[in-house]
Amino acid sequence: MLATLGEKTITDISNIGQFGRFLWQNAGACLRSSWNHRTYPLIWAQMHIIGVRSVPVIMITGAFVGMTLAIQAYDQLAGMGLEERLGVLINISVVKELGPVLAAVMLAGRVGGALTAELGTMNVTEQIDAVRSMGTDPIWYLVAPRVLACVLLTPFLIIYADLLGILGGYFVGVIQLEINNRAYWDFSASGVGLWDVAVGVVKGIFFGGAIAVISCYKGFTCREGAQGVGQACTEAFVASFISILALDFALAVMFKAIYNTFWPFKSLVG
Amino acid sequence: MKTQEQPEQTTQTHSNGVLSVKNLTKEFGPHLVLDSISLSIEKGKTTVVIGPSGCGKTVLIKHLIVLLRPTLGEVYFEDRRIDNLSELQLNDVRTHFGFLFQGGALFDSLNVFENIVFPIRQHHKIKDWKEVEELVKAKLAMVGLDGFQHYFPASLSGGQRKRVALARAIALNPEVLLYDEPTTGLDPIRSDVINELVLKLQRELGVTTVVVTHDMNSAYKIADRIVMLHNGRIVADGDADHIRNHPHPVVQQFINGQVGEDDLAILRMSGTASQPQFLPRDFEA
Repeated sequence: MLATLGEKTITDISNIGQFGRFLWQNAGACLRSSWNHRTYPLIWAQMHIIGVRSVPVIMITGAFVGMTLAIQAYDQLAGMGLEERLGVLINISVVKELGPVLAAVMLAGRVGGALTAELGTMNVTEQIDAVRSMGTDPIWYLVAPRVLACVLLTPFLIIYADLLGILGGYFVGVIQLEINNRAYWDFSASGVGLWDVAVGVVKGIFFGGAIAVISCYKGFTCREGAQGVGQACTEAFVASFISILALDFALAVMFKAIYNTFWPFKSLVG
Repeated sequence: MKTQEQPEQTTQTHSNGVLSVKNLTKEFGPHLVLDSISLSIEKGKTTVVIGPSGCGKTVLIKHLIVLLRPTLGEVYFEDRRIDNLSELQLNDVRTHFGFLFQGGALFDSLNVFENIVFPIRQHHKIKDWKEVEELVKAKLAMVGLDGFQHYFPASLSGGQRKRVALARAIALNPEVLLYDEPTTGLDPIRSDVINELVLKLQRELGVTTVVVTHDMNSAYKIADRIVMLHNGRIVADGDADHIRNHPHPVVQQFINGQVGEDDLAILRMSGTASQPQFLPRDFEA
């Protein structure tokens, strides 16, 4: 019993160390890639796969979030005669929390799963060893372009999710539930500032980085066989999902502290 | 059979060894895979490492290019210790090597042309693509696959994939070529094609060659020197005749493809105890 516990503790510490080393190597590779023009085509290719192809699912996610919020919140607000404030509730929720988090979760499923499966298959078929055997750093060639593409594009994907979330809420609130159009937007404009939008978008940088690093790490360390790759994909999604929620909390605390610190100057940022 | 575990004392150390390992030990968790192996690979010759499945052949060959790091011991390339270099430092060293992986390890997402160009692009600034196209054509012609530039790995047969992987391995004109089970999974004719290719490349390029295999026909055909591994240790080391006439029972058992008494005993026991209906008649006394 004690031996099993000790063995598991050692394995866990070893895994944390291995992940830390991977993270460090990846940070170095991303920095080198930033000014190495030979990496740019690799990043462009990943941007197309990770970013462009994710736009439809991200937009659909955003739209349904906005529409569902409108449906759920309308009765509560109407009961208090505050239905014209539906816009501010939907829009602040979408741009600050639900848009970024749900877009990131969708990306963790779509992009994270694909990254883990691709790199995991490359790992078990010795393609990663082949990259190394030809004198190329696999972290630089395979991981850095994917991480950079995710970090650069997740904020833009979140903007798409926000936009469609706002339009979805508008569609249900104003078109379907017949809330006064002008009041809907006036209350929204008074409650949602540039700061709120920026907080959601900046979160995307962290979410994108976490999804890409975790997914690539799981692909690089997956066990042999179809079961190994499948298990790595599952672990990558679960770890990404938890990281998104944990990061969301940590960033909310951090942004709140920043906001309170700079509150006297808030008129400068919206 | 304690004598079977004793390493052969004649492990050769060649004065012009281009590649060598000293007291190489590798453990994976509690499993000892390589047990203090010392080996020197002679320049310009073909050394074949043989041994039963799971004896540590692939682990050994991966140490030669430091795809695996030793638990103990040292790896040298041209008298320079390489097992303690960082991955970035190793990238330069590895350009002197070509490695043919067991399954070819071609990149699925790239076609044949792009696979062969990959190492060239990584280490050279390409100015004239016509020149590169000619180079790829020449490399593919060496393995008999010119015209396959636009095929993707998924549409090639196993033998063709290995030949394309070989063309990629020689793309940078390496000084050392390492082959991991080059004939595994191929029919006898395709296996012989690969054997002829190994000989041809060794003859025409003058490269130092290390082949890991359990295919004795292949070993006899291509080897200048054969090293046999068993339980992580070298049990035989010499030319083909030396191996053929080696007195060690494990060597004779392996090269003649005979099942050992220990294995037979296990089969008899498992058959009679749990599933007597599957007892193989051939093993009955």
